[in-house]
Amino acid sequence: MTDVGHLEPVASDAMNPTPNEPPVSERSRLTSASEVIVLYASCLFVALALAALLVELASDKGSWSSVYTVILDGAVRSPGRWGLTLGVSAPILLVALGTTVSGRAGLVNIGQEGQLVVGAGFTAYVGVRIGGPGPLALLISLACGVVGGAVWAGIAGVLRFWRNVPEVLTTLLMGVVAANLVGWGLRNQYLLLAPPEGRANRNQVSEPFALSRRIPRITLFGNEFPISVFAALAFAIIVWLVLGRTVVGFRLRMLGRNARTAQRAGVSEKRYGVGAMLVSGGFAGLAGGVMLTGGDFGNYQLVANFGAGIGFAGLLAALVARQRALVLIVVAFLFGGLRTGSGFLRSTGVSARIADVVQGMLVLAMLLPPAILYLRARRRALAATSART
Amino acid sequence: MTSVPNDHVGGEHSSPPAVELIDITKRFGQIVACDRVSLTLHRGRIHGILGENGAGKSTLMKVLIGLVLPDAGQIRLHGRQVQIVDPIDAGAHGIAMVHQHFSLVEALTVWENVALGDVGRLDPRHVRQRVGEISEQYGLDIDPDDRIAHLPAGMRQRVEIIKCLRRDPEVLVFDEPTSVLSPSESEFLFDALRRVVHHEGKAVALVSHKLPEILSVTDEVTIMRDGRVVKAGPTAGADASTLARAMVGRDVVLRREHAAFGVVDTLIEMPVDATDTTADTSAGDSPAASVETSEVVAPTETPAAAPVLRLVGITATGRDGRVLLDGLTLEVHPGEIVGVAGVEDNGQRTLGDVLSSLHDVDAGRVEVNGVQVATGTAGAMARAGVAVIPEDRHDSGCVLDFTVAENLFLVDPNRVSRRGLISMSAMRSRAAELIDRFSINCTGPDAPMWSLSGGNQQRVVLARELSHDPQVLVAAQPTHGLDVGAIEYMSTQLRDAAKSGVGVLLISTELEEILDLSDRIVVIFNGRIVGQMAKGDVDVERLGMLMGGADLSTAGAQS
Repeated sequence: MTDVGHLEPVASDAMNPTPNEPPVSERSRLTSASEVIVLYASCLFVALALAALLVELASDKGSWSSVYTVILDGAVRSPGRWGLTLGVSAPILLVALGTTVSGRAGLVNIGQEGQLVVGAGFTAYVGVRIGGPGPLALLISLACGVVGGAVWAGIAGVLRFWRNVPEVLTTLLMGVVAANLVGWGLRNQYLLLAPPEGRANRNQVSEPFALSRRIPRITLFGNEFPISVFAALAFAIIVWLVLGRTVVGFRLRMLGRNARTAQRAGVSEKRYGVGAMLVSGGFAGLAGGVMLTGGDFGNYQLVANFGAGIGFAGLLAALVARQRALVLIVVAFLFGGLRTGSGFLRSTGVSARIADVVQGMLVLAMLLPPAILYLRARRRALAATSART
Repeated sequence: MTSVPNDHVGGEHSSPPAVELIDITKRFGQIVACDRVSLTLHRGRIHGILGENGAGKSTLMKVLIGLVLPDAGQIRLHGRQVQIVDPIDAGAHGIAMVHQHFSLVEALTVWENVALGDVGRLDPRHVRQRVGEISEQYGLDIDPDDRIAHLPAGMRQRVEIIKCLRRDPEVLVFDEPTSVLSPSESEFLFDALRRVVHHEGKAVALVSHKLPEILSVTDEVTIMRDGRVVKAGPTAGADASTLARAMVGRDVVLRREHAAFGVVDTLIEMPVDATDTTADTSAGDSPAASVETSEVVAPTETPAAAPVLRLVGITATGRDGRVLLDGLTLEVHPGEIVGVAGVEDNGQRTLGDVLSSLHDVDAGRVEVNGVQVATGTAGAMARAGVAVIPEDRHDSGCVLDFTVAENLFLVDPNRVSRRGLISMSAMRSRAAELIDRFSINCTGPDAPMWSLSGGNQQRVVLARELSHDPQVLVAAQPTHGLDVGAIEYMSTQLRDAAKSGVGVLLISTELEEILDLSDRIVVIFNGRIVGQMAKGDVDVERLGMLMGGADLSTAGAQS
């Protein structure tokens, strides 16, 4: 039967310029891999060159040649630095994992920063009030952080699927609300504000977490980091498994790729869509709790502007990794390194604003290739389908 | 030939006709959309152009308006030969068209929409005043400062008409103008049309497939079929049945068979293994097939068995509030192919959507094997055993970014998973079986769906839907856009499904397909079933009248 189909292969290829040529596709995969590397390398090179130029022009201290080495030193090379980078990367990874889940369901959640702050607020509120043994109290307060973040994102999900309000808008605006809400909580002692004796000379701080209620930190090769790093890695593997290997993940991806087909096939947009938003917000909330109790962000207490852009960093990491959970592990570490590295740059005398700009340009350099690749893949797919019809 | 009677009709006019299209021919690839078509429009007259979908009406009008350049033929305006290269050119010649689908900006007001596309400095006062004048002159009752978003469909169309009339054209073309209008709005439109024609002496072409409209409004009529004019002359002498017969044609079934075989022979370069695979698959289904041969099924009256699918009084509305299905009632029995015939846009798409759980109903119920199925609930229809080959497979039939294997298990991934975990090996091997059985031409189970040709994507959909042991198979325009080999394959699959006891609901606007495959034909018009007939006593004339919405008191409309 198949022989009959291949009787006239030449003619069929002439008519239909697409079918099966495995050797070519094998080769094109190789070339596309090298293309990706070249693309990333050239974008990064341009960004570094511009960064160097900027440092040279704008600052009297520090020289362009030192920019790269200082960033590398700050991220991994100097003693103790990669431990710090790990600690910073863990919440970025958590946020990005949540973003990946909602992104795969076709939702654009860009309010991670707010969900993270709400999660941190919930964690702080519960963590200093409940009794019980330390580790249990820690887990409960982190769980409350998850709930807080999930509720915050869930509101946007409900508005999206019951009232047709675009989640892009609601998540972002709810982020502003979250920042102000937590800020207000930090001014009221019955909410988050620490009692006067714990405040020292700062006005808006929460009561610090007791020693027993902090995430334990371990030291490896002279680098110290909280064990939440391992939890984040485990979550990355879980998300990868769920999205790629389970029926639930399959249905979630179906919803993201073609909502009408999914509806016909039995994927309720409301259930899966809101579920994805809850998971996404929950991860952001957990990240907030981990930042608060992990030790690399402040002194185990909530302060104003606690988010510190980690929510946005996670969002960007998810974009760069193009929603692949395992790739995220690497990308999150890169983003963490960028943060600690440019922080180090600051300490060498380059002004803080210039260091921020350098960091921004490096992030852009990592964001551009995926965007270019995406656009090209889209165009190819379009060309392929239009050639057929 | 066709211009001759028209010349007689126009004899009382001393001046040459406003528009003469002479022997217009237009080909798209191998398809001849217009084959030496001639048409004459006279001032002060409404000329109806009647035909099924794909008869060539629209192409002809596009030639007149400059959207399509003809391959051959002449256009004469007032006896002078001209070339119309684009719609602006047509406008300069005094030809304007009111399109079926409106092109209005909802956020803007009426006068802003009218002024849209003007060049040079904008003079709001002048435009407003002109809109008011036209509105008054033709009794259109339009306020230039109304926002389009606030206007119902009928008023929006009046805005489109004002856009045309503002340039004071001599020739007006209306393309299916009543398809979005309610009866009273249609009535109003035709009153306005008569005013335009009789008071101003404009020439109007009215493209339609609705017989009552043509009969009541037009002075002359041209009937097209398969790109040719089959009948032309004054409307006064015609009646619904002659028009219907001319529109649908008598020898449809025969013609289809000829066409199919003829083209298969000429397209030998395509790897058409349709005949081979059909033999193969029918052998695979042989247990069922041997019990019930096609001869047993063919001369069906309604089978005695209980219906496997029953729709009772289904009413559904669109987002804009338009009634899409209006008390539709329909039954499909096991082993039967029921063809839903009708002109495009009469509720077919909504019917398919309701049976795909994509559109909820306002009233009525759907039963599968006597058990009521929830409407609009994700996956409910699929779980109840309603398989669907959707009208647009990219819209609701497959996920282009998924692999072929994933697409084969979209509806029921649990078949290849245990305790919620998908077994990749099981999925691949079961997919490979289906790819083999349905001869899907692809690089393998992991090939992305978008890399397949349209016909093979359709086979993936078919394979998935049939592999779920359906009770009912809904096929909406199943052969739309497929080549001849793929059409034959699909037809055989539908017949085989029916033979094995599945109730098949074939929704198609291609009458030949319906006549070719159906055991029983029902006609859908304006969202309701207006008549039915068994295959044995198909009366093409009556079919055409039902599709055209002619008021048949004898039609025995079922409800």
